[in-house]
Amino acid sequence: MRVLLIWSVLLGAALGSEDFVGHQVLRISAANEAQVQKVAELQDLEHLQLDFWRGPARPGSPIDVRVPFPSIQAVKIFLEAHGIGYEIMIEDVQTLLDEEQEQMSAFRARATSTDTFNYATYHTLEEIYDFIDQLVAEHPQLVSKIQIGNTYEGRPIYVLKFSTGGNNRPAIWIDTGIHSREWVTQASGVWFAKKITEDYGQDPTVTSILDNLDVFLEIVTNPDGFAFTHSQNRMWRKTRSRTSGSFCIGVDPNRNWDAGFGKAGASSNPCSDTYHGKTANSEVEVKSIVDFVKNHGNIKAFISIHSYSQLLLYPYGYTSEPAPDQKELHQVAKSAVTALASLYGTKYQYGSIIDTIYQASGSTVDWTYNQGIKYSFTFELRDTGRYGFLLPASQIIPTAQETWLALLTIMEHTQTHPY
Amino acid sequence: MLLLLAQEAVALAVPAGAGGPVDAGLGRGLLQQAAQAALHFFNFRAGSPSALRVLASVQEGRAWVNPEKGCKVELVFSTERYNPQKGEEHLGKCSAQVFFKNQKPRPAINVTCTRLTEKKKRQQEDYLLYKQMKQLKNPLDVVSIPDSHGHIDPSLRPMWDLAFLGSSYVMWEKTTQFSRYNLAQLSSVKQWKTHEGAIDFDYTVLLHEFSTQEIIPCRIHLVWYPGKPLKVKYICQELQTPEGSGTEEGSAVAPAQLSNF
Repeated sequence: MRVLLIWSVLLGAALGSEDFVGHQVLRISAANEAQVQKVAELQDLEHLQLDFWRGPARPGSPIDVRVPFPSIQAVKIFLEAHGIGYEIMIEDVQTLLDEEQEQMSAFRARATSTDTFNYATYHTLEEIYDFIDQLVAEHPQLVSKIQIGNTYEGRPIYVLKFSTGGNNRPAIWIDTGIHSREWVTQASGVWFAKKITEDYGQDPTVTSILDNLDVFLEIVTNPDGFAFTHSQNRMWRKTRSRTSGSFCIGVDPNRNWDAGFGKAGASSNPCSDTYHGKTANSEVEVKSIVDFVKNHGNIKAFISIHSYSQLLLYPYGYTSEPAPDQKELHQVAKSAVTALASLYGTKYQYGSIIDTIYQASGSTVDWTYNQGIKYSFTFELRDTGRYGFLLPASQIIPTAQETWLALLTIMEHTQTHPY
Repeated sequence: MLLLLAQEAVALAVPAGAGGPVDAGLGRGLLQQAAQAALHFFNFRAGSPSALRVLASVQEGRAWVNPEKGCKVELVFSTERYNPQKGEEHLGKCSAQVFFKNQKPRPAINVTCTRLTEKKKRQQEDYLLYKQMKQLKNPLDVVSIPDSHGHIDPSLRPMWDLAFLGSSYVMWEKTTQFSRYNLAQLSSVKQWKTHEGAIDFDYTVLLHEFSTQEIIPCRIHLVWYPGKPLKVKYICQELQTPEGSGTEEGSAVAPAQLSNF
């Protein structure tokens, strides 16, 4: 039907008529040969300007005709006078055409596909959420979208699940954008999502990982903060929650976890960029992940991605007490940064959070590690300060590509070292 | 974070190499701190927007920690050009002595670097930048360099370099053994004019402090003429505390250029 409509429009346009306001399409039921003949006579009346989509053929066969507005009265009277039945298929052709145009534009705008999505530029929250829907639509067998909660300001929080089946398989968690100003991380998250769908079934490593484990990817872990970096303050780091008793807004979501919460390495000043919040998990963005992790119960690796500094870190940040698995984590980190450097020579330092960066309490991977998720790592992506948070968009894809190699190393190790 | 010892100074040797951990946790962070401070000081003192350097990696270093006095760091590190030129993979090498007076900012610094760009070439490049700057028409409506996407309009590059030069002074003065700064963004231009031939530049930058992760706005006013010492005045807005916010200010005229750099 749609095709006929378009065809008709094209024909109409070719014939010089541009506008179909008020035109109707009638479906005529000719009961016998005589009636068919009568309708056929209409065709000869050129002044009516009738456009038969399905011409008069034989009794019982529907006859479809587009009738221009000026001719509608005349045609209906004619049909009624001869007792020929009809129904109105299309009330107003132009309205239908307009709707169709809208749909077509919408379809075009909604990224013709994730293949035409621009990975080499920074995107808005809406664009990333559209990308997520698009990716799921293109790979329904592999990718699904889970809503794990709502932000302080009421935005949905989404996690992508990559799974080839099984029942609560051991899983790997990756999050980007927990600190909203670290734009290269959300951008890399988008790239990782696409990469997984491209490589599954093509690359032996990715295929093997996904045949045995699930991957959860939270691309925008702090949606309120991210929206704020677009609308008001590019340098915003924290959530956007209101703290009673202070005019300052937001809690550092990487100081809000229940691991050494409130100890040295976070601030009790609500105006500080490392404010830990009133209590652990006070931030819904954090609590949503905590609940998800606890409910899942089978996450084996947890990777939280930040920028900048070019570091690969493992627990702990809140204490200088070495993590029990320090030796193994150190080795894995070493392999991962080696893999990362192999692509563009980008140098990363690695070690525990407290040794390598600074003392930080209430951080994500300290909590996940204490939950028993052995392979808990934090990345700090490019660069080392030249551009910092304002990393030029031209570096998004190289950053994502090299980081992916490090992620694969960790994921492979997780797969081959079940615990 | 500093390893406090009842007795006197302890020397920590740090192995060479860019990757991997160090023996003492505080060692690595402290060396980075010291290298960054030395480089900010070096850039300021050089007074040359065409010859700005960034830290590549710390190669070796030693730190002496005295809980009462402060901490002294000796180190060797490599640098890269701030504005990498195509085909020029020049890694400069610097050695520095940095002394952090206990808890106080503005470390005392002695730094020498291998001749990175020939003096004459540097002077030529500075003069070229100076001419480009004089051509800049009314950049007062300029806001945010780089923009949110990390982009700097090529015509505004000289302004950015000069802003970075002025910021280097501020960042050096503010650095302590615990706090380290990077220039995050040039957020506004209050004034850009020529005064008696020199560039008179009044602007605000956002500095990023690493351990607190704070973004600190600083208003900087500098006067620059190629080959002449840089004059800088600044006032920074500190973090709002429950008691109220504070400001920190300083000013200087760079010492006359030393011949060894």
